[in-house]
Amino acid sequence: MARNPIDWSPKNWLRLLYDFFSSFKLATAILIFITLVTLLGTLGQVDHGLHAAKEKYFHSFYFVERFGPVPVVLPGGLLLMILLFINMVVGAIIRVKKRWKGVGLLISHLGILMLLVGGFVTWAFSTDGFMALYPGMSSDRVESYRDWQIEIVPITAEGKGEKAWIYPSRQFESLRPGEERTLDASELPFAVVVSDYSKNTHPIPISAPMASQVQAPEVNGYKLAVNTPSKEAEQNLPGCYLTIQPRKGGDSIRAILWAASYRFDPKEKSMPFTFTVDNQLYAALLSKKSWTVPFTVKLDRFDFSRHPGVMMARSYESLITRSQGDHTDTQVEIKMNEPMRYAGFTFFQESFGPAGAQPGDEMFSQFAVANNPADQWPLYALIVVAFGLSLHFLLMLFQFIVRSRHKTPPTPFTS
Amino acid sequence: MKTRSLITPILALVSFPAFLFGGMEAPKTTLESYTPWQDDTVKTFENILVQQDGRVKPINTVARFTLLQFLGKSKVWFQTESGESYRVDYAAWLLDVLFRPQIANQLPVFVVDDSEVVVQIGVSPKSKRDRYSYNELLKGRSKLAELGAEFEAKEKKYRDSEKDPQYELERVEGMILTLARNVSSYEYLIGQFGFARTGEAMVNEGMLPPEMVELSRRLNMVDMVDKMPEMTTAQLSQLIRQAPGESEDEKRFSAALRLFFFQASSAQGIHLFPPRDSDQEEWLSGGDLLFAGLASKKDREWTREQLVKIQALTQALKEGEKDFNTALHTFSDQQHSAAAALGEGTHSQMEIRLYRGQWFINALYCFILAFLLMAFSWMTPGTKVGRLLTFGAAILTLLGFALDVYGITLRCIIRQRPPITNLYDTVLFISAIAVLLGLFIEYATRMGVGLLVAVLSGVLGMFLSLKYEAKEASDTINQLQAVLDTNFWLATHVTVINIGYAAGLVAAVIGILYLSGRFAGLWMRRENPDFYRSLTRMNYGVICFCLFFSFAGTVLGGIWANYSWGRFWGWDPKENGALMICLWTLVILHGRKAGWIREIGLHVNAIMLAIFTTFSWWGVNNLGVGLHSYGFTEGVWGALYASWAVMAVFMLMGIPIWLHDTKERQEKKLKSHVGKEAHA
Repeated sequence: MARNPIDWSPKNWLRLLYDFFSSFKLATAILIFITLVTLLGTLGQVDHGLHAAKEKYFHSFYFVERFGPVPVVLPGGLLLMILLFINMVVGAIIRVKKRWKGVGLLISHLGILMLLVGGFVTWAFSTDGFMALYPGMSSDRVESYRDWQIEIVPITAEGKGEKAWIYPSRQFESLRPGEERTLDASELPFAVVVSDYSKNTHPIPISAPMASQVQAPEVNGYKLAVNTPSKEAEQNLPGCYLTIQPRKGGDSIRAILWAASYRFDPKEKSMPFTFTVDNQLYAALLSKKSWTVPFTVKLDRFDFSRHPGVMMARSYESLITRSQGDHTDTQVEIKMNEPMRYAGFTFFQESFGPAGAQPGDEMFSQFAVANNPADQWPLYALIVVAFGLSLHFLLMLFQFIVRSRHKTPPTPFTS
Repeated sequence: MKTRSLITPILALVSFPAFLFGGMEAPKTTLESYTPWQDDTVKTFENILVQQDGRVKPINTVARFTLLQFLGKSKVWFQTESGESYRVDYAAWLLDVLFRPQIANQLPVFVVDDSEVVVQIGVSPKSKRDRYSYNELLKGRSKLAELGAEFEAKEKKYRDSEKDPQYELERVEGMILTLARNVSSYEYLIGQFGFARTGEAMVNEGMLPPEMVELSRRLNMVDMVDKMPEMTTAQLSQLIRQAPGESEDEKRFSAALRLFFFQASSAQGIHLFPPRDSDQEEWLSGGDLLFAGLASKKDREWTREQLVKIQALTQALKEGEKDFNTALHTFSDQQHSAAAALGEGTHSQMEIRLYRGQWFINALYCFILAFLLMAFSWMTPGTKVGRLLTFGAAILTLLGFALDVYGITLRCIIRQRPPITNLYDTVLFISAIAVLLGLFIEYATRMGVGLLVAVLSGVLGMFLSLKYEAKEASDTINQLQAVLDTNFWLATHVTVINIGYAAGLVAAVIGILYLSGRFAGLWMRRENPDFYRSLTRMNYGVICFCLFFSFAGTVLGGIWANYSWGRFWGWDPKENGALMICLWTLVILHGRKAGWIREIGLHVNAIMLAIFTTFSWWGVNNLGVGLHSYGFTEGVWGALYASWAVMAVFMLMGIPIWLHDTKERQEKKLKSHVGKEAHA
């Protein structure tokens, strides 16, 4: 039977687009590509680490993958998810024939859509960071795992910093070696110039034998050497050169800002670079991006136990007191698999430290702090999908058994 | 004709064990004779409790996995000089090691896969792959320690440098490191009760200067503690480093201190003594007790009481095995009472039953026998004998399934957890589910295919469980990391996702049966299209089943991750693996609707689904990245690649079948066209 020729005239384009986006062929192709991207993204983590692989494969519209010497352009996870969403809405919800027999599939597709929307909301609107506290400490500040910023803080006569100028790393992380960028600091009596920012670095004294191989400017007897970025993005220690140019004239002030000057243990204090302009003392620091939650968390107790005779952690849980303005203080226990959800934030018992702590040492408790508007959507989506699929598959299974039981079982060969 | 067709397989079956074991000879030892332990003694011994890897377990378990680690087997096979051969099982072997180390040192328990390893340490090689005794390796002991330390450092660099290939161990280097570790572990075992063997020659005396060896025959370490001033282990360690004084007494005192330190340090690793206080959890080894007694005078009475128990055992052995058994009973009873007071050791008998029962090996035998019966039934199709053989196969499959489930149940009770807590458990569980799924298909269709699927899944699953256990050679009932300490999520997410894995694998088995059957049919030209259409319907159902459980398992995993790690989805390799299974089932189901996948395509893709399933099940654990570090394993790529190659061969069979079907369709079309024209 010959197929009808396709009408390519402009008046039929809308119809053709509708057919294309609602087709099973498109769905199949998208699913094949998502599988491929997932596979590449999984294998890519071995060489590049999770964060880099996520950015390249899953949070992108397209990426280039080399298969041996051949570069191939492939659709990224973000593009595929958008296409899948459109395909499902048009094909599985709008176009599909609404029959009782297909109600299970319709429900399950709605559930998957919920999951996709939830994924988008999480990607676009959620924040995640951590809060680390020793017993007795309290805080309302959450720090990012990977995002850094430059802070410029005027120091008062009492030695305090009451106001800060914050420059997120996205303003200067695209700098190439030798490039510099002036940051917006119009309220300050000096210009702030950043150069040679790198994701993973270490300062090296010029007296060290290796220093001659480092192609970077020297500041106060040090150069900033660039390291290969770690596969674990959280392990990177960025660094950059900072130049302070007083607006009233005078010599520029040069410094190296290095992430290790920031504190990594809640008890440590940051070690900013300090300088004076117009008789005012300032501190400059490369610090982790941070934000606050609308309540204070005080760690009352941290219980940590190992399995007897081995170093493996058996359990760790924190008893905290949550305080918020005039509200009564509330004591909450946070442990593995039992987070605290409050005011849109969720506190998870994430880890502990310091690294290499021996039994009896004082330890800090680290919470992962997430703010995700779609936090519970996956659970609701699962319920919807599971209901839809159960309905559909049970019906099919029943039909299969009934059909099979009323037939003589066939044999592999004809007699 | 039918009788004659049965003769060849029966002959093959009968001659198989002879083929397998014929011509093999037990490794020769330097032992003049060997007296096996009496069963009673072994039974008493195996119930002694030990705390190891964070849990209290019978020493039977320790013995089993230690011997597996050294030898790759659970029995030592050897021949004495008089030509008698013995197979000594793990518990009896550990009895030898702890109480008759002079004999144990002559048993060939160290397997060396490449003779290059022993050549490098200066030991004369036997065959390419062989077993060596401790005494045979002694000549190269110092070189082995030197190379072991070198490769240990290299391995650490490899880990620290995030797997920089320049630090990756070569094959032989890895083997030397393993041998060095095994020999070192063995030395700890033979030195375990050295402190309690006053008056005997030391087993490891080659390590010590002659004055200490001589002293060890006269000095009772337990008595020595009483006479010593209080000092910590650090103080003792510092003292023995100082040069002794000039006088004989000072020299003797210094030698005694060094001997004490050596004996106490050697008696580490086997934690036999329950703590005195109920608020303590850590059990103590003989060495711990010696050091604890030395450190505090107020503890000496109690530590002495404990240490004397071991001395009583070694003394009783000198009187004969009957006295030894009685002393062992007394020790075991006292130990169990103390453990019971702490609420521990309650399932030790069950754990012994788990390993002595060999449920999984027996299940494998059942599945193999069932397969043979099925194979014979194919030679007599449609006859009473054929039906009887199929019935027998079904009963054996059910029995194999019951044995597998019984073993899983014992494991659940022993650790008070749902069926899956580690990778080994997944093998047992997935096998059980695959067998069950096969049996259900058989119940629904009565085509014989479901039974065959069940049998094949059982054989492969049980075989894999045995191979994996031998490869890992470590206790498979292990303690859980804090994040896994939740029976709810272990029972839901982990169980459900593994049911999905099982279905993915069953789909591949059906796919393989379809493709190999049809491939053979290309030549036999007697294939029944109805049969294969039924297989397709069957596989479609299994793929839907796989989708349901994989999807539910994946999302449940995400929800769990949201409770423990703070995010639903993190593109972690294990999460991605599960997602790929879901995606590929969806590719099959949507590809079918799109007209891209028909009968052959469905089965080819079902095999592809199994490739994704095995990648998710084993491959991602071997990548060594991600948050699911508790499931990491190593050294499975070879087996995985081999399995994927086999599956690829079956997938390729789809091509000639597709070409054949296409040609047949075209011929039919042509014929009908010609017929219509002729009719017109």
